[in-house]
Amino acid sequence: MQQSTKTIQSETTWFRFTNLSVIAFVALTIFSWLFVSLAEYQGKGELALDGYGDRAVYFLNKLAGSDLDHTPAFLDISRWAETSVFALETLVMSIVAISLASLSTSMTLLLGSRNMVFGETALFTQPIFKVVFYIIRSIYIFTRAVPELIWAMLLVFVLTPGMLPGALALALHNFGVLGKLSSEMIEDLDVRPSRALRSSGAGVFQIVWYAIIPRLIPQFLTLIFYRWEVIIRTTVVVGFVSAGGLGREFRLFMSWLQYDEVLLILIWYLVLVLFVDGMCSLLRNLARA
Amino acid sequence: MDQKLAKREKYSGQSLINSRKLLTLILLGVIFFSFNQIPLHEDLLNPSGMKALDMFFSGLFSIDVSRQFLGLVINATIITIAFAVCGLSLALILGVPLGILASGSLNSRSYARYLSIVVFRAALAVFRSIHELVWAWFFVAAFGLSPLSGILALGINYAGILGRITSELLQDLPDAPINNLYSNGASNGQILIYGRLPLIFPDLLSYIFYRLECAIRSAAILSFVGIAGIGMQIELALDDLLFGRVWTLLAVLALLILAVDLWSSMVRRHLAS
Repeated sequence: MQQSTKTIQSETTWFRFTNLSVIAFVALTIFSWLFVSLAEYQGKGELALDGYGDRAVYFLNKLAGSDLDHTPAFLDISRWAETSVFALETLVMSIVAISLASLSTSMTLLLGSRNMVFGETALFTQPIFKVVFYIIRSIYIFTRAVPELIWAMLLVFVLTPGMLPGALALALHNFGVLGKLSSEMIEDLDVRPSRALRSSGAGVFQIVWYAIIPRLIPQFLTLIFYRWEVIIRTTVVVGFVSAGGLGREFRLFMSWLQYDEVLLILIWYLVLVLFVDGMCSLLRNLARA
Repeated sequence: MDQKLAKREKYSGQSLINSRKLLTLILLGVIFFSFNQIPLHEDLLNPSGMKALDMFFSGLFSIDVSRQFLGLVINATIITIAFAVCGLSLALILGVPLGILASGSLNSRSYARYLSIVVFRAALAVFRSIHELVWAWFFVAAFGLSPLSGILALGINYAGILGRITSELLQDLPDAPINNLYSNGASNGQILIYGRLPLIFPDLLSYIFYRLECAIRSAAILSFVGIAGIGMQIELALDDLLFGRVWTLLAVLALLILAVDLWSSMVRRHLAS
């Protein structure tokens, strides 16, 4: 009896909060469209579509390399060979970024998980660890909140433009993302194995080694592969702020209006994305086998 | 029989070790190769790099919170949120129908179903493989510098993501309620509206709220193509070497993301319980 009233109650709060959120989201949507179309750009007719069709057709023609006095770059084997260097650079940047991010996350992960520091399952009970927990959590939030591109802008100030600032920018952002997602994984782990080990007298190291790591590793690897797929898509963007790879080439050719070269870079980009997606599913199968 | 089983177990045990070892070796080799490629021997720092770093951290002690600048920051924040929400709503309008088509649940004939799955899956894959900023560059080149370019760029990339999730959710549904409707003579459209969509609604909603946080981050960097959001203010402050302002903007961005994250995780918790 008590059970059923409880369910009904939780259903009504479910109903109320979710409904309110949906209403808030719809209101926000209406406000945003009004804001974008009226407040900021009033009278300039910028949301109208006059003449856009012609410009788009012109752009697509340029992209396909019509009326050029030389062969379009995407049909020229030597251009393919030359740009392959940048594709490799991009791939290397993404690998360095994901390795740095996963390494630094795995070092901070345990102290960044709430159930390792607070409550009855805590392994690290000294008050100093509570301070460390909050520091790590706020670093996760801050690094995650700042997008890769802005990290790259900041890093290019200090470091020589090239692959390193790009890889570091990607690593910083993904450190925060991996930290958040994987500490949630630790918090959701079944507590019974650790409790059993503890009640039979295992130390902190033994509990971590035998009860947490074996169940964390498969999930953590899946997460890393998923983030690698995301990173390869973003590496191009980081290149926009002169951080090397395909992104820099893309930006240069865009501003030189050499759209046939742009299409070549875009094809390389899609090849890389497909390659990494394929590699990730292969590695995932290998890890699962 | 027993021997055979034991042999197979032994064999599979071996292959397990081998594939794990292989995986580790491949990964270590690739990582080593990649780190080797980074040119570390050249000058790592900019000539004035240390000075810039010093200025950046001393900016922490001169955070700009003057009333005039805060007005600018609030304006930039509203623009960022508005573009994120516009992009996300466009993505919903585009992505959910495409996702329904890509799940093949509207066609009963097997070849039509297969065709619709392949075609729309491929379209969604292209949508989401290209980063929203690259889309934005293309739209700016094609349509010119207008807010529509930014919204379209965000909308198309996120439509690819939302469409994929919609089609996956639709394909993973339990069969019983669908079969029940089917045996009562409901058409594919009716099954979709009364059977499938209500079933995926909570999961889809929770995913949309999760994506809102990402959309705000993406909208912040769309400034790169001329939208005056937080990213553009950060860029301007960096160009003017006003590091106090950079810190204010970074803090506002972090607080914004934190607030949206709290909201979306509350919604998700309520939906899950």
